[in-house]
Parts: sequence; C-alpha cells; structure tokens
Amino acid sequence: MAVSPLPTRSPSTTLSTSNTAFRLKGVAARSPGNAPSPQILQNADRELTEQLNDNVRQRYMKDKKLGEGTYAIVYLGHLRTEPSSLVAIKKIKVNAEYKDGLSMDAIREVKYLQELSHPNIIALHDVFSSKDQNLNLVLEYLPLGDLEMLIKDGNIHYGAADVKAWMGMLARGVWFCHENFILHRDIKPNNLLIATDGEVKLADFGLARSFADPYLNMTHQVITRWYRPPELLYGARQYSGAVDIWSMGIVFAELLLRVPFVAGNSDLDQITKICEAFGTPTEENWPGVTKLPTYIPADKGHIVPVQGRDFFLRQFPTAGPVGADLLMSMCTLNPSKRSTACQVLQHRWWFTEPRPTNKEDLPRKAGGSQKMGSDLTRKGGELDDSPFKDTARQLDFNAM
Amino acid sequence: MIEDDIYRTSSQFRLWSFTEASLQSLRATTNATACERVRSDIRKSRDAPQSASSSAAGTPAANPGSDVDSKAGEGSEDDCLTPAEEHQLVQYFCEQIIKLGEMYKPPLPTIVRATATQYLKRFYLTNSPMTYHPKNIMLCALFLATKTDNYYISLNQFAAGVPNDPKPDEIIRFEFLIMQSLRFTFDVRHPFRGLEGGIMELSAILEGLGKPAPHFPSQSPDELKRKLQSLSPPQGVQQGTSVQDRLARAHHGTREILKTAAQMTDAYFLYTPSQIWLAAFMVADRPLADFYLDTKLGGPVDENNKGNPFYELRVKLLRTLTDCANLLQSYTPPVSNQEQKNALRRIQKKLSRLQPRDKPEAVGQKRIPAAATDSGNSESEMERLAKKRKLDGAQANDLFGGELVMQRTKQTQGQQPPP
Repeated sequence: MAVSPLPTRSPSTTLSTSNTAFRLKGVAARSPGNAPSPQILQNADRELTEQLNDNVRQRYMKDKKLGEGTYAIVYLGHLRTEPSSLVAIKKIKVNAEYKDGLSMDAIREVKYLQELSHPNIIALHDVFSSKDQNLNLVLEYLPLGDLEMLIKDGNIHYGAADVKAWMGMLARGVWFCHENFILHRDIKPNNLLIATDGEVKLADFGLARSFADPYLNMTHQVITRWYRPPELLYGARQYSGAVDIWSMGIVFAELLLRVPFVAGNSDLDQITKICEAFGTPTEENWPGVTKLPTYIPADKGHIVPVQGRDFFLRQFPTAGPVGADLLMSMCTLNPSKRSTACQVLQHRWWFTEPRPTNKEDLPRKAGGSQKMGSDLTRKGGELDDSPFKDTARQLDFNAM
Repeated sequence: MIEDDIYRTSSQFRLWSFTEASLQSLRATTNATACERVRSDIRKSRDAPQSASSSAAGTPAANPGSDVDSKAGEGSEDDCLTPAEEHQLVQYFCEQIIKLGEMYKPPLPTIVRATATQYLKRFYLTNSPMTYHPKNIMLCALFLATKTDNYYISLNQFAAGVPNDPKPDEIIRFEFLIMQSLRFTFDVRHPFRGLEGGIMELSAILEGLGKPAPHFPSQSPDELKRKLQSLSPPQGVQQGTSVQDRLARAHHGTREILKTAAQMTDAYFLYTPSQIWLAAFMVADRPLADFYLDTKLGGPVDENNKGNPFYELRVKLLRTLTDCANLLQSYTPPVSNQEQKNALRRIQKKLSRLQPRDKPEAVGQKRIPAAATDSGNSESEMERLAKKRKLDGAQANDLFGGELVMQRTKQTQGQQPPP
C-alpha cells in the first residue's frame, strides 16, 4: 500500500550546513560507526550542487590503479575517515570521439546501480565528478576476482555444493533485477564478481535497461555471444527476463563443465552449436519461431530433437537428476516456456542434497583485485579473452 | 519484501521526495544563495571600473553608499527573482519541453518528455534560473532524457528538431552540469505504468475475469463485475454510456492529467507514483476510482468499521489522495492565461537585468573568471555582457528572446511545415 514520502531513514544523511532538508547518500551512512562526513567547502562562490559534489568527493581517497581499459580506469580507494574501508573507484574516461555527452554505457550503469540495492548486486556507494568533468563511480571493493577465474584455474577444485552456492547467489541477484523491471543483458562468468566473504555480486550494468512497455521494440544486439539466447540470435525485438535466464543457464553449465558450453565463433555458428546441443527450434517446440526476423530454416535432414532430461543428466552428471532438471528449465529454447527467475528460486534443487556451501567456505583464489580492475574497465558485450574479441558486437542504437 | 520496500530504495524516494515544508525551504535556500551571488557580482562590477577610472576622470571618487546611481545598482530585493517567480518560470519551461517533444517526427514518447520535465524541476531545486537560464537547460534536459529513457537519437538529429537550429555543442555543454545537479540519479518513477495496470485490472473485471484482491479471497468475478456495472455515472456523463466507454474515457482523462498537471505541479516531489495515478483517476472519474479502491481495501468507507485496519488505511489513503487531487486540480496551463503571460513577461524582464552564468566556461567545474579581476580589458566583462543583453532584449519582442517553441508553433499553424 502507498506510503507518504516522508524523509527516509535509509542510506541518507542530512546535510546540516546547507540549511535544507536535502539529503546526501553515501557509504558513511550505510555503515554505522563511521565519522560524520567532512565539512563542506565554505565557498560562497560555489553552487549548492557543487558543494554537495565536493562533499562526496572529499569523502574518498584514491590509492593505486587496479586496471585500465578503453572505457574506464579503476582505482583502489578508501574512505578518508576510515583507511581500512576499501572501495573501488571507477573513473569513466571521456570519449573524445563521442560527441553526444556521457556514453550510453555509463548512463545505463549509473542509472540502474543507483536503484538496485541487494547483497548479490555490486553496490554503488557514491558518484562524484572530479576535475575536467570526469565521472567517478565509487563501487563496492570485490577483491576475490570473478567466477571465470575460478572456472579456468585447474588448481582450484570445487563440487556440486559450491556450484549450488554460486548459482543461488546469482539467481537471487537476477531475480532482484527482474523484480525491479530491469534486464541485465550481459550475464557471464566474468561479470560475476566475488566479495571478501565469498558473496557473488552481479556487476557491469552497461547494457542493462528497464523492461519495455508491451509492443515496444528493443535492440537484439546484446549479451555476449556465448551466453546469448536463441531468440536474440534470431533477431527478436521484443523479449523478457527470459534472456537473462538463458545466460544464467549457460553459466550454470559452464560451472559444471569448467569450459564454455556453447562457444560459437560467429553468430551463425552460435545458432548451430545451440541447435546441436539443445535441439533445433521448430514451430512445434517453439510456436512463432519461424516468424522471427533473422530466423534461419533448419536443414530438413539435420533436425536435432529437443533434448530431454536424460541428455542433461548424461552431459552434466555433477548436477544430479534434480539439478539437471533445473538446468533444462533454464535452457529451454522457447523463451515463454523457460523458467522465470522466481521459478528458478522455487526449484527443489536448492532443497536437495548436497546443501549449498557456506559462502565463507567456498573455494577462492588470490590476485582477484587485478581481475576486478580488468572486469570493470571492459566494455559490455565483449568476449575479452578469446580470439574473437574484435567481432563482438556493439550496440546499434539506431536499431532500437 | 513488499513493493513499498523496493520503492523506498529508489533514488526518487531517497533524494527527490519532500514534505511541502522541506521543498519550500530548499527552494528558498537556493534562491537566497543565487541572490547573494547576483548582488556580489553587481557590487564587483560597480566597484571595479570606478577604482580604475577615478584618477583619469578627474572627479572625486563618489561615495558608493550615497550615490543615487549606485543605489539603483545595489541589487535590492526587487532586482532578484523571488522563489515564486523562479517557480513560475521553471513551470513555463516545463510546458515548453512537452511542446517541443511533440514536434519531433515521430513525437518523443510521453515518458521521455515527462522524465525531462522532472529533470528540469529537480535541477532547479538546487540551481536558480538567475544563474542558469531555463531555455538552455531545458534542451539539454530533454536530450539527456532521450538517452536515459531508451529513446536515444543522435545529438545532431536532436538539435535539428529544435527551432532556431541551436548548435549541438550549445546543447550538450550543459549535460554534465545537469547530471551533477541530478546527483547522478537518472531514474524517474512515473505513474503511467500503474495507470495501465489499474485499467487492465478493471477491464478484466468487466469481462468477468476479475481476480480477488490478496486480502479478500472471497471476491468472485461475477460479484466484482456486477458491482462495476451498477456504479453511478461520473459527473457530466449521461446515463446509458457503456461501462467500456466509461473505462476508456477515465483512462484517457487520467492519462491527460498525468501528462500535464502531474508533470507541472510538485506532485512527483510530494507523492508516490501510485498515489499520483490514483489521485488523477479520482479527478477523472470519482465513482470508478472509489470502486477500484473498494476492491483492494474492502468496501466503501463506513464509520461502523472504525478500528478495522482496512478502514484506518482507507481513511489515511483518502486524505493523501485528496490532497494530491487538489494539487493536480490547482494546475492551469500558464500560456492560456493572459495574467500569467504578463507575469512571465515581467519575470523575464527582471531576469534579463541579471547576470546569467551559463557561459560555456561556467559549466561544471570550470568557473567564469570574476569580472573584477579582468583588469587587462578596458571594457569589463560585466559591461560587455550588459551591452549584449540590451541588444538581445531589443531583438526579442517575443517572450524570452525569440521564443523557440512558440515560433515553431506559429509556423506549423500557418500550414508551412518547417524545412
């Protein structure tokens, strides 16, 4: 039911000097026990907005550089008043080529992270500008790298209970996005960062957007290819949270196999690999698929039937029969038959043995802060460590 | 976790929701700060040339305090805009955003225009029109909204749609300033989606497919349908209109209020999106809105139910919705009213005498050098600007110096589509 919009107690603190009820969001207020924010600059010549910005900026100190990409530089930083409280400061580079102001990636990232506050989504503590109109995002510091790092490291051993813990955290993060009408559109292992306590955090909202109203078109050129669902590969312009669920299913498969499951080297190859693995989409198993803009009719002599539970169990024995069932529900070709985030969370796999590992006891690996540096400076939708990285698609805004 | 909890984490609630008193106090502070600057700038501009010319002119340096001329330039209370005048001016430019958005082909979506309007209103909570002229800020706010609301068009294309063909650079140079003033929060929660949901629910009830509300599992689709069909007609509508037509009419009426009054008044600052659409719905068709609330909160307000939590909730809600509805109904389009037009003209005149800071150098962190320190120039920056303003003023017969949208409207009305 509706509430009256009285000043909130949550992450805000009153700015007493400005003699107003204007509230300031920030880390200081989120973690109790911190000293009050530093005094705002006493300068009559500075506008109220600038004073507010100064106030935020002065709360942080930048330490060393963690990584640099074409799009951003990431620094390790800390709260001025509390050197032990670490943060990652992502400084968005000004793109001289782009004449239309702040890039769409940065706009999306800031817009959605400002709204999403959840244990499994990277926290945006503050945003401030520094000289030359640079945008700085103060993000939660996640020093244990990402899931990709763990998947790839042969020295790290993990089992079904660990996968269950990671998938549970991912599913809760995705559910929360969808509950807030936000599509992430770039879920993949190196966007799943790990906090000191082992908690998995969904990061990189550079391709995110809110659900479109019914009948409005969206771009289909999102999600890194290996994790892209068939409807987007067929050029669907109207889609739902089901696109993120597919990506999540593929991450699940990759966690179990420890290699990317369907890794096409072109969009066409990606479709072929999906058909081989899961079955060929047809009007029977997916009514309407042949009407999608770039649907390619399957070779009549080469139609793979939709794979059943047996296939998933054979292919992913670690998951067990119940886990295989969950994976199958996430990798259903027809997006309207695919599980929703809520259905994923209600699946009985979570209640079946083994219980998920406690997050503190999950396998971990050192050297993750550099990984965070490179993860946060990458542009959305790119496969940055494959021979195909240059073919990664850019968002085509004119197609929106 | 319920919806309210999620709303409370939104930036709209955290940073952009106020009580009437806190909103007023914030605007007063912003106005006072700007007036302070205006007066200090005027003092500087008056002192600087005097000290430089006192020996050359050979006349004794006038005592600024006793001089009649300098008294006029003192920046008295009348020289600055009042918070009410600033508010009126900003509201006028919010109207202009809506109009400009309508002129694009195809028109910019309602959501984009509404977001831009709220950006402008949020911007002027901490900035004064005396510092940044809204005619500049409104263009950039609209462009920014196309980017944040998934309707990105290139800046060149956007600029081409604006009358008087402003240079793209002239539009975009305010972007950072606006983003900073928005405290880098771009999400605006609108009441439109809630309205669509409510109308869909009512349509379902009418088709006999109504679902019982969470707290009233005993409601049957037939009973809901019967009650909806037996509602008394809204004011001004004849008996005999079909319920379907009535729904469509209420839908349209509510949407119009949400597109206009809800945007122009302080509704977004004071109420939640669901309160706003329900209040607008009440204005459009009171019996229908009451019925909708009945289905959720169980029956009409009945004194006999005192003490019942639903009764208490309903009474509280009704108070809030009535306040919000009154606010929405208080709105009259300013340009349709000669009195308001004259008031705007007066405000513009006052504004033209003040020093705007919206020069390119002033945007963001880069400050305009104080005119007084500009000793190398024989003609101080202030004087130059004052002259320029006079010229601008002479050219501008229309409101606000060759009003962009009004001009375009005239062109379109004259059946001559702009090239």
